[in-house]
Amino acid sequence: MDLSYLKNKRILIVDDEQELLDLVVSVFRNDGYQNIATAKSVREATALAKEFRPELAVLDVMLPDGNGFGLMEQLRKTGDYPVLFLTARGEEEDKFRGFGLGADDYMVKPFLPRELLYRVAAILRRTYREEKTLVPLKNSVIDFARAEVVRDGEHIPLTAKEHALLSALWRGAGRIVTIDALCEAAWGDNPFGYENSLMAHICRIREKIEANPSQPVSLVTVKGLGYKLLVEDK
Amino acid sequence: MKSVPKLIRRFVGWLLLSVVLLAMVNVLILFAVVSGQKANAGPWAAAKTVAEALTETENGCVLSDEGAAVLDSAGAWAILIDNDTKSVVWSSENLPDSVPQTYTLSDIAGLTRGYINGYPAFPAGTQSGLVVLGFPKTSYWKHMWPSWDYQLIAHAPQIALIAVGANLLVILLIYAVANIKVLRSIRPITNGIRKLPSGEPVFVRETGLLSEIAHHINATSEVLQMQKRQLQKRETARANWIAGVSHDIRTPLSMVVGYAGQLQSASGLTEEERHKVDIILKQSGRIRDLVSDLNLASKLEYNMQPVRCRQENAVALVRQAAADFVNADPDGKYPIEWKTREDLGVCMVSADRDLLKRAVSNLLQNSAAHNENGCTIWVSVEEKGESCVICVEDNGIGASDEQIRALNTAPHYMVCDEAVAGQRHGLGLLLVKQIADSHHGEVLIGHSRCGGFAVTITLPVI
Repeated sequence: MDLSYLKNKRILIVDDEQELLDLVVSVFRNDGYQNIATAKSVREATALAKEFRPELAVLDVMLPDGNGFGLMEQLRKTGDYPVLFLTARGEEEDKFRGFGLGADDYMVKPFLPRELLYRVAAILRRTYREEKTLVPLKNSVIDFARAEVVRDGEHIPLTAKEHALLSALWRGAGRIVTIDALCEAAWGDNPFGYENSLMAHICRIREKIEANPSQPVSLVTVKGLGYKLLVEDK
Repeated sequence: MKSVPKLIRRFVGWLLLSVVLLAMVNVLILFAVVSGQKANAGPWAAAKTVAEALTETENGCVLSDEGAAVLDSAGAWAILIDNDTKSVVWSSENLPDSVPQTYTLSDIAGLTRGYINGYPAFPAGTQSGLVVLGFPKTSYWKHMWPSWDYQLIAHAPQIALIAVGANLLVILLIYAVANIKVLRSIRPITNGIRKLPSGEPVFVRETGLLSEIAHHINATSEVLQMQKRQLQKRETARANWIAGVSHDIRTPLSMVVGYAGQLQSASGLTEEERHKVDIILKQSGRIRDLVSDLNLASKLEYNMQPVRCRQENAVALVRQAAADFVNADPDGKYPIEWKTREDLGVCMVSADRDLLKRAVSNLLQNSAAHNENGCTIWVSVEEKGESCVICVEDNGIGASDEQIRALNTAPHYMVCDEAVAGQRHGLGLLLVKQIADSHHGEVLIGHSRCGGFAVTITLPVI
């Protein structure tokens, strides 16, 4: 799936450590992000946000003239864009507070640059979806917008459950999504006892996306743990 | 305190026993004293002896030597009152002048019960008259009216029993009243002493009989509270210090990890340079994990980590930890085999989701950390009776019996107050133990079936 349009998004990074700002900026720039602005304090960030109009903010929590939680509330007054906290404060209370205020993600330092990029890309992808979301697989393409699979020119519709399961698998593409997480995605908060139904749905999905459902190459089983969706450009 | 009523019962028992023993001793002494005497036999017998020793002769009455000896030994005098004339016809030589020489019938009836001019008188009859012995004034006391109500004598045993019973009752009442007062004084004291070990602040009103003890209890409570505050202060300071250090180290470590990460994906590095970058990244990861573990272990140790237990499906939770581990192992050096029975989809436990997942992740990381060349890890969840048993085992290098024993029994250096030489194993297992403890569970470390390492966490199911 082509995600190059996300690289033009305006990203505001706020941290009081200049060296860390330089690092994060270089991480983003190396990955192709072009519109990046930085600030070292709450005052600087709020002033900058009015001109820069960010589409994503990466905030530290501890700032010299306030904290990231307060800054987030101020930024939200000027625009409803996603916020990711990148902080050394790893206490549960801080995480809960950040998520409670509506943060989209919370990363504790030290962080791996690649992980930061993945998380930012995921947030941007969720927030700024393209009209047509196509996910290419080995033998087919999933069109989530139309809730169908296109295989050999044939449009095969997805049921609501299949759509929910494929969405969950797509969010964790390339990684194991556990049986329990899939059941929860399809059947809600009380997903116990649906393991057999899940297997039946997975079989039907394979019939739609795989060339040979008995030897799946895109939706593979990890025995006992769950399933993994392998996407072509991932 | 349960011992107080016991103490009171014992006191009452001793009291009753003392009363019974005292009564028995008194009866015995009375019996001994009374049996040593003949009731009032002395003066009456002396009067009879003298009467028999007095013989009438032509020259008048003569007292034999035996009779005279009786009078001498008692210091008594004697007279003989004639039956017909009611006057004294014979008297001993030591007869006081104040003793009348003639008597009326009324006088005779009176002297039989009482005295002649203050001398205790004891009569004895003869054929011709009445012999009366007069003893010294301070030798005998005579009861002038020796008669009782017949009913009183007839019911004497019952009356005696009632009297004894009433006495006992009165004694018990007095004792009970006295004890109730003492108990009222003791109760707050015992309550205070009972509360002391719980660590709660104790205050006992310093009044009444035991005010001094109450004062000492209050003082002890104050000392304990002060020590508790100091200990908490010290523990909080220590945990805060560790939290502060772990916080402050994160930002510089971010830069090390960040730039090393960028270098890793940079082109133009030689193989050796790339290897060095890998080492920097790997060791930075170790520092990051160590800081994180140290912080959590310190908080769990000092009860500063909130444990938010909810009903959780242990199978789903362990499976998620296993999936996360596999997802983070792109090379597949540490394949996981899921050994949970297929029909066990749910095993509910009361757990803090994040903490329990952290414990399982730590065990998986532990297997990876000690087996650099890779190993297979088996993960299972089993429901055994009232317990949920989570097992993580591998076919890696394992540990010796000695090491296993030490891991199971020896405290970690972080929570050990003795010498810590030779206890430098990582914090991962300590965390697992602490998390299991906080969930009322236990951890057992041992050998796996394949000679590797095996750890089981047992938690109560709900």
